[in-house]
Amino acid sequence: MNRGAPAVSEYGVLLQQVINGLSLGAMYALLALGFTLVYGILELINFAHFNVFMVSSFVGMWALQLLGISGQGQVLTGFALAGALVFAFVATMLAGGVLGVAIERLSLRPLRGVPGTAAMITTIGVSYILFNIILLTVGAGSENYPNPLPVVRWQFGEVTLELKTLLIWGVATVLMIALHLFVNRTRLGKAMRATAQDAEAAQMMGVDVDRVVVTAFFLGSALAGAAALIFGLYYNYTSFIIGYTAGLRAFTAAVLGGIGSVPGAMVGGVLIGLIETLGGQLIAVRWTDVIIFSILILVLVFVPTGLFGRAVPTKS
Amino acid sequence: MLEFMGVDTHYGDLHVLKSVDYRIAAGEIVCLLGGNASGKSTTMKAIMGSVRPTAGDILYEGTSLAGIGTAERVRRGIAPVLEARRLFPRMTVFENLEMGAYTRPRGAEFDEDLARVFALFPPVEARLRQIAGTLSGGEQQMVAIGRALMARPKLLCMDEPSMGLSPAYVEQVFDIIQTINRQGVTIFMVEQNANMALSIADRAYVLQTGQVVLSGPAAELRENELIRHAYLGELKLS
Amino acid sequence: MAGVGVSKAARGYGFSLARPLARVSPRARARLAVFGVTAAALLFPLVNQNDADIDSAANALAFAALALGLNIVVGFAGLLDLGYAAFFAIGAYTYGAASSWQLQPVWGGFWEPFQWLELVTRFHTAGGDVVHFQVSFWLMLPVAAGVAAFFGVLFGAPTLRLKGDYLAIVTLGFGEIVPIVARNIPSVTNGAMGLNGVAAPRFFGFDFGIDATPYYYVGLALVAFLILTSQRLKDSRIGRAWMAIREDEVAAMAMGVDRVRYKLLAFAIGAAFAGATGTFYVAKLQTATPEMFMFPVSVMILVMVVFGGIGSVWGVVVGALLLQILQSWFLEDLSGWLHSLGRLVGVDWLQHVELASSIELIFGLILVLMMLYRRQGLIPATRRTRTLSLDEQTVQPARSGFTDLAATDHVSPLPLLEISALTVRFGGLVALQSVELSVPAHSVVAVIGPNGSGKSTLFNAITGLVPTDQGTIRFAGAEIGRLRPHQVLERGIARTFQNIRLFPNLSVLENIMVGMHARLATGPVGAVLRLSATRGEEAAARERALEILSLFGNRLLPRAEHPAASLSYANRRRTEIARALAAQPKLLMLDEPTAGMNPAETLELADQIKSLNRQGLTILLIEHKLDVVAMLADKVVVLDHGEKIAEGTPAAVRRDEEVIRAYLGRSAVFA
Repeated sequence: MNRGAPAVSEYGVLLQQVINGLSLGAMYALLALGFTLVYGILELINFAHFNVFMVSSFVGMWALQLLGISGQGQVLTGFALAGALVFAFVATMLAGGVLGVAIERLSLRPLRGVPGTAAMITTIGVSYILFNIILLTVGAGSENYPNPLPVVRWQFGEVTLELKTLLIWGVATVLMIALHLFVNRTRLGKAMRATAQDAEAAQMMGVDVDRVVVTAFFLGSALAGAAALIFGLYYNYTSFIIGYTAGLRAFTAAVLGGIGSVPGAMVGGVLIGLIETLGGQLIAVRWTDVIIFSILILVLVFVPTGLFGRAVPTKS
Repeated sequence: MLEFMGVDTHYGDLHVLKSVDYRIAAGEIVCLLGGNASGKSTTMKAIMGSVRPTAGDILYEGTSLAGIGTAERVRRGIAPVLEARRLFPRMTVFENLEMGAYTRPRGAEFDEDLARVFALFPPVEARLRQIAGTLSGGEQQMVAIGRALMARPKLLCMDEPSMGLSPAYVEQVFDIIQTINRQGVTIFMVEQNANMALSIADRAYVLQTGQVVLSGPAAELRENELIRHAYLGELKLS
Repeated sequence: MAGVGVSKAARGYGFSLARPLARVSPRARARLAVFGVTAAALLFPLVNQNDADIDSAANALAFAALALGLNIVVGFAGLLDLGYAAFFAIGAYTYGAASSWQLQPVWGGFWEPFQWLELVTRFHTAGGDVVHFQVSFWLMLPVAAGVAAFFGVLFGAPTLRLKGDYLAIVTLGFGEIVPIVARNIPSVTNGAMGLNGVAAPRFFGFDFGIDATPYYYVGLALVAFLILTSQRLKDSRIGRAWMAIREDEVAAMAMGVDRVRYKLLAFAIGAAFAGATGTFYVAKLQTATPEMFMFPVSVMILVMVVFGGIGSVWGVVVGALLLQILQSWFLEDLSGWLHSLGRLVGVDWLQHVELASSIELIFGLILVLMMLYRRQGLIPATRRTRTLSLDEQTVQPARSGFTDLAATDHVSPLPLLEISALTVRFGGLVALQSVELSVPAHSVVAVIGPNGSGKSTLFNAITGLVPTDQGTIRFAGAEIGRLRPHQVLERGIARTFQNIRLFPNLSVLENIMVGMHARLATGPVGAVLRLSATRGEEAAARERALEILSLFGNRLLPRAEHPAASLSYANRRRTEIARALAAQPKLLMLDEPTAGMNPAETLELADQIKSLNRQGLTILLIEHKLDVVAMLADKVVVLDHGEKIAEGTPAAVRRDEEVIRAYLGRSAVFA
């Protein structure tokens, strides 16, 4: 614990921003992963994904409130803390997953096979619906997020590391490893990869493509849920608009890493997190949106495959 | 084992297969020959279930396949070797083989089948961990056949196994097809390379613009002048 | 079906005027409707004197104008623009800069000629004399439109090669960057606080002030003008080019449409609509803030277009007006009723619900529901067609070929098409290897070969759809290997495709007329003004298209207005050939023209191809049916695995050992 931070040099400030960037990056990576999973199989840009993220953060908030936690005052430790966190994560991820599956079933499955941008436009509509339901019910203000985490800081020279930062890195790492294992070691996971590479051939092997799609939506949306809870615990607030702001960054992360590529989303997420914090520090916070949009445009126009991606899809 | 009875298929309003009949008895090697756009690939798709007949019926082991999905057909013992291989390019050879056994539980049988594939294709065993997309055409074909064998099929449907392969590999592949057949797998093969196919087949059908114009024992067809006409697309004004 | 379309449609709308209306022709009915709507619109402010209502109506008109502009980009050209509000913003801020108190540079001699032109005035402030911009609203309308058009080209240029959803994302990006920039350069835009004192328009001394009525009429005039422009563009060579790009970009290129130029044109004109509307809107509001131009606004305009009918001019106007009415009036009234109901039933929540703020939720629902259940919108862009009589449906195949095509008159001893050492590689795969081919003028040359031998690649290389690695392609003496597809068409080479690439939602006639694109000259200005030269050209083009259709007897003519997708397979092939003929080619390239036809139809088409050749057309043909080849071809070239393995007369090739082996495969080494 520190009593009064020492004078911080410019180098220290930058290093701190790198730490912040890595935390944000972890969150964006989770959000980007969910998005890229669906794209890899359906070649669909799912706008609704980011508002599933937003809705999930409210579910997380309600879950914690259910445990009697409100605001940052009620701190837990030890098993109580672990239990509360596990409960919150499970609830949030489950809510996200179910919401994602519902969206796929109701609004996207009927459009499977329709050429052009009809499905993407539908996801814009769904995104709007989610956004406005929250806006109309909960309101436009930002909500104070219940946070049972004790505020613990460690000082390393000029840099401060918080407990919540370690939590984020921990959760993100665990989830990414879990996803990696699922996609590479389980039968259904391999079926997903096969379907993403050649859906017709996968079908000829007996893969149930519908089931694979539902799984992709469930997993992707559950990851969004985890990212949402992380957001709330990190920033201590949530509001109806976070889908838009975080979504833009996660989307750019997925594109930068190569849309459809799982390692790409992870790397892209971390990169965008760093760009956001360092860009905000070195240029100005109010221009970070423009910087990120510009990266998005430049990548799509000049390097559409991104860092890790495969060839650009041929569907028009 | 497999029987097409008066099967018609359409692509939109284009009449592709016109009342075709095939019969494949268990243990045979039967090949389907024909020039371009004759309906060979559509036949394959109809067997696997991605194309549904608009008329007629397809029987497998006596029961109709109407309404039976692709996954179920694979479970019942029909496995495809797809045109141009179509391995999963970014998965390893082993993972591709695994996908072939997707509909079957893991266990002793899986290991047996794997051993059988290794015995047939030693180079495949050597490249187990390699990414499938980096293999040569011939090597990919071996993996593709191995992948189909992992489903422990009774009927192996091969779509143009010689396409895109160098002559050396073509010989190897046809050699292996005979071996597999001797192990008890029925083979139904669509092939452009008529000479090669007829050299290993028991019987053959010749397709032209969706109709069966010739059929019979392979030995007879090899001597038949008409096969050249059918291939080179001479019209039959019927 | 639509056989008894008239009274059925009227019945569908529940009018009791069905009988008398049924006697009036559809054309006259449309005119009547337009007249009625115009009269109602003109009289509206006189009938309803409520200024707030008139202001709402003026807003609705602004959005109708925006919907029309987006309709050009999304509906006509098929480019999904998710950042359209950026152009709205650009128009607004351009006028804002030119006619408000926002910009006040220091006065200098430089500004005197502008003062003389009454574009600026000299204004005394405590700190010295400054320039006050007061460019006339009427002048700024076209100027802002022009500025927006420039940005339309700027934002559209990076998207030219992108596919549908990627294009949408890039436009979304630009659409977001513009308001953010606007917010962050307060010296020009005053950021979030809004532009400072934008001037109201003046009309011959009459100051517009704050009364909504004059703005309403300006908006009405603007929308009327934009409707007219949209309609004229749609029914012109330009509109056809756009729709061709939307339906099948590759086929459009092969038929002579320069996709770069026309995509940029769509962006430019669409942006111009928004730019003019931005000027109008900001003049009415007398301020502008970045919030007015953010993503939700772009989505709202898209919802209006999707709701009203993508591609339908009146449809999007109706969609925009309906949604604005919904937002401004209906929802408030409905909220009022719900409040009363709540009081009646004693439900607290009902008494406080405000539906007006849920308009965006409704937009989301509209988007989803429309995409799922009625993708064509309220008023679909494609028209219904009547059923054919029995006579028109039955046709006997005939074997006479064409007799009345105008003969082409060029006679030349040189080969028309000369290909040497042509090599095409796709990554590591060699598709064509050092191919030599010579097509003498007025001959028929057939290219044959087994699957995957490179025949279609050869066609694609000649027509510029695929780049060549080595070798030359000379047509009529000139090198064409580096030309883009539409340029190849202009030189005189037209083609059909193996898997038929028609424009499915365009009528048969429209498909043919796209083929003529390169031979017509009307530009966008000509299309809008529709002077007698343009009208003459269109009429002549239509005549010629019908002539070409009539070459195929009764097969295509009765179906001229039917969408191409509804034709039988064989008729679609014929339409594609007719479309290629419409381009007046010197060399006609046919890729498997008789595929899928029965023997009788095959012979009929073969005769027709022969007669085309007899009238001077050079023909290069990919064909599998060797009897057809024997009938038509002077020379046959055989490809196998990308190489030429034989060449000669049909009879010689048929006997050639190499050819037989290519088709039937090498013999087994051991039997």
